[in-house]
Amino acid sequence: MPQAFDLAAANLLTPAVLFFVLGLAAGFARSDLSVPDQAAKTLSLYLMLAIGFKGGVEASRAGPSDAFLSAAGAGLILSFGLPVIAFFILKAVTRLDRTTAAATAAHYGSVSVVTFAAGTEYLRLIGVPFGGYMAAVVALMETPAILSALLLAGAGRADRRQGATRELLREVLLNGSVLLLVGAFFIGLVTGERGMSKLEVFVGPLFQGALALFLLDMGLVAARRLLQSRKLTPALIAFGMIMPLISCALSLTLALALGVRPADAAVLAILASSASYIAVPAAMRLALPQADPGVYLTLSLGVTFPFNLVVGIPLYAWAAGRVFGS
Amino acid sequence: MELTRRTRLEVIVEAPLVRRVEAVLAEAGVKGWSVFDGASGSGRHGEWRSEGLHPADRKSLVIALTSRERAEAVLERLRALFTDYPGVAALSEVEVMRAERF
Repeated sequence: MPQAFDLAAANLLTPAVLFFVLGLAAGFARSDLSVPDQAAKTLSLYLMLAIGFKGGVEASRAGPSDAFLSAAGAGLILSFGLPVIAFFILKAVTRLDRTTAAATAAHYGSVSVVTFAAGTEYLRLIGVPFGGYMAAVVALMETPAILSALLLAGAGRADRRQGATRELLREVLLNGSVLLLVGAFFIGLVTGERGMSKLEVFVGPLFQGALALFLLDMGLVAARRLLQSRKLTPALIAFGMIMPLISCALSLTLALALGVRPADAAVLAILASSASYIAVPAAMRLALPQADPGVYLTLSLGVTFPFNLVVGIPLYAWAAGRVFGS
Repeated sequence: MELTRRTRLEVIVEAPLVRRVEAVLAEAGVKGWSVFDGASGSGRHGEWRSEGLHPADRKSLVIALTSRERAEAVLERLRALFTDYPGVAALSEVEVMRAERF
């Protein structure tokens, strides 16, 4: 598989991924390097805006398409279904309590926009022509996992006791990051080429730099969480790396069955294997406060995200290529 | 100068819960409050730092000055909240100017 190694190396040697590794190293070395709070939030806003907008513009170029519907359908099924699978695996293989298992499972059904950003950059690098509408699929896959997790957690839900479902719904549906992503997508869709010519410099050449800085922060945060966490057993760490592989396999199977375009299936595999750490933790903190963020955040951020970034993305792209025979 | 006794209520909760606390304050008839963001700290669940992305790591401090009765009513309601969610609440006695505002 020498070609696969070349591809893996190509992914690893991009500045974005290397800055993540730098952040990890600095974090483990307990350096005082840190990206200021507000800067990290601004970068996050920027990424949502850029990803959504570019996706919308590309979708407007391509015109209306059925391919979007099959990708969206597959995405929704995955987002609802993967938490169920993750939940049962966790209950079988680890000693997590029900609430923490449900909350953790939610993360694995939902998606990481940053993994999407890094993944699509990689796919562009190797010339895979996925549809611009995949940015909208990202937004669609963010939330259903949360609902699945709430069902799985059942009686443990704090919001039911407190009667705060409305607040949870608000948090989930109006989550800032997702709102911006979707809004930017529609703005890109509606303004198309004209809009792109205005934002070209902002969302084009600047993107890689912003991504690099953001990933530097992610590396720092991941390392610090890992250092602090006493909750990760070997079984959990293994889960953090094996669940993405399972998700990838399931998503490729589903994509094949639903007739999703091969290029989009590669993106879908990357999305399915990613674990959220922005929208889902916030919702879980409200709905399942008894669940332990020391487990779900650390797993998502400290194990799965680095795994996906360094090993996963090229692996899923390669697998998609094999499954779809291209 | 005329100073009057009032009660200072301090509530520390994680960011996602601030709205709930504000609702409790409003229901109890507290006239006003201020919310401040925490930078870092340490407690039962380990250390935390407001790294910006994770709601559980962002803690807010809500300060309100009000009458003793209202403050105690707030605490009573907060007790129910704190059975599910982490948080800290404390009362102290202070003296204020322009007591009619609190």
